[in-house]
Amino acid sequence: MGIINSFLETMADLARESGFAGFIADDGWKNIIMILVSFLFMYLAIAKGFEPLLLLPISFGMLLTNLPFAEMYHPEFWDYIEVEERGGVINDHYIDYGRVLQHGGLLDILYMGVKLQIYPPLIFLGIGAMTDFGPLIANPKSFLLGAAAQGGIFFTFIGAALLGMTAAECGSIAIIGGADGPTAIYVSSRLLSKTDSIGVGTIALAAYTYMALVPIIQPPIMKALTTKKERSVVMGQLRQVSKTEKLIFPVLVTVIISLMVPSAAPLVGMLMFGNLLKESGCCDRIAKTAQNELMNIITIFLGVSVGATTSADKILTISFGKVILLGVIAFSLGTASGVIFGKIMYVATKGKVNPLIGSAGVSAVPMAARVSQKVGQEENPTNYLLMHAMGPNVAGVIGSAVAAGVLLSIIQV
Amino acid sequence: MYELVNALSENVIHGSDSNLSGTTIATVVITGMVVVFIGLILLVLLVMLYGKIFDAVNRKKEEKKNAEAVKVETKPAENVPVVPPAIEEGIEEEVVAVIAAAVEAMSAQSGKKLKLKSVKTVKPQRNPWAAAGIAENTRPF
Repeated sequence: MGIINSFLETMADLARESGFAGFIADDGWKNIIMILVSFLFMYLAIAKGFEPLLLLPISFGMLLTNLPFAEMYHPEFWDYIEVEERGGVINDHYIDYGRVLQHGGLLDILYMGVKLQIYPPLIFLGIGAMTDFGPLIANPKSFLLGAAAQGGIFFTFIGAALLGMTAAECGSIAIIGGADGPTAIYVSSRLLSKTDSIGVGTIALAAYTYMALVPIIQPPIMKALTTKKERSVVMGQLRQVSKTEKLIFPVLVTVIISLMVPSAAPLVGMLMFGNLLKESGCCDRIAKTAQNELMNIITIFLGVSVGATTSADKILTISFGKVILLGVIAFSLGTASGVIFGKIMYVATKGKVNPLIGSAGVSAVPMAARVSQKVGQEENPTNYLLMHAMGPNVAGVIGSAVAAGVLLSIIQV
Repeated sequence: MYELVNALSENVIHGSDSNLSGTTIATVVITGMVVVFIGLILLVLLVMLYGKIFDAVNRKKEEKKNAEAVKVETKPAENVPVVPPAIEEGIEEEVVAVIAAAVEAMSAQSGKKLKLKSVKTVKPQRNPWAAAGIAENTRPF
């Protein structure tokens, strides 16, 4: 009899400690909904091919963090605390990393790379090592289109502010318009704190989902803003760019941008460092590692730990709806301002520039450039805009990094 | 420029501020767009400038190369007497040019210096019909 009793008691204890019990507890139903949401994103990544390399790790991180009692991620470890530092200065944005290392779960440890702003610059290193800035050097005016498309970021800032969000939230939502995942994570992880109603995970989910939807969001806007005549402009061939020019470019951009907007230096600096590794031709081994192994490792860490921040209290809120709404507005406005500036260049160059390449100014490399090519070919099947669109496209990456730097230097944490 | 950013946003915005005023929003938007444009316009100008410099340098280099190439071409004619390849009569000049070009291409590829010495027609050793018959009978299954 005693054996049966103790067996039953042990079983009852196990059941109480199991995750199933967690689902029945107070806010347990929220975790169930979040797990279902993670299934939805897994479906989008696997079956629909929505940026699978990032959405799959993010959605799995989302699943892991919402399993009760698994304790892989502790949101409370990431609250800011007030600490008096040396010299009596009070730092109200102190995170106790010692505590994270002592008691953190796997995802807490991985999330340190996001909070300490390590992963996004390293991803940029890989992107730089994969990017050919040749089309941009051949036609430097493309920089203007890359700048114009950042309008999406700042116009969305207005929208978010009008909805009564905090400055940190406004900046984080606005940066989605840069159509650049690492930049969005970089800015939001710096700005957002626990008191904000949205988290880094929310921003990352919205940014990557909309990046996957670029081929659906952009074409109607591009067609609505341009005439048939403008869309069928055939652009002249780009000039050949010498190796020395390609070598000087990354150094020049790093120096100029870092001096102008120091807070953009980590992103732009690493992007250009990666590019110099590629163009120099003397560091093939390092360049290949940056493009492949390092980039893949960081993508896994970044995805799964950002996914972990999507806890129920950050997603099942009205603010999440606002992020989704403002995110699509940000993408649309970015596309529109790029195309409108393209039209200005069309007029200024007396019809030599096809305004369709303007929409590629919202980074999302190389998807946005491909969209320009596709829409252009619908008007004139022999028109090849791809290389011309790559110019604004890579300029957009630099542009959104600068915009991120500006947001970070204006909004004080 | 950094000072400009800070000066424009004198009333520093804190992340936790909500209900931002119209002036604050306008400051962020205008500063943001202006800084992004100034930065990228600066890059446009610099990239254009060095593009022009490189174009000029490359043109000069090419001109120099062309001049040198002319010199190189004329040099051997002065010093070493060139022995023209023995060309059989009745072979067209175009055919010789094609063969010479092929030899030159091979010599550039292999690194060995090959030279065209003579061009002559090969006398047919066998009646084509007989050759076809032999080929038919000796082709492996």
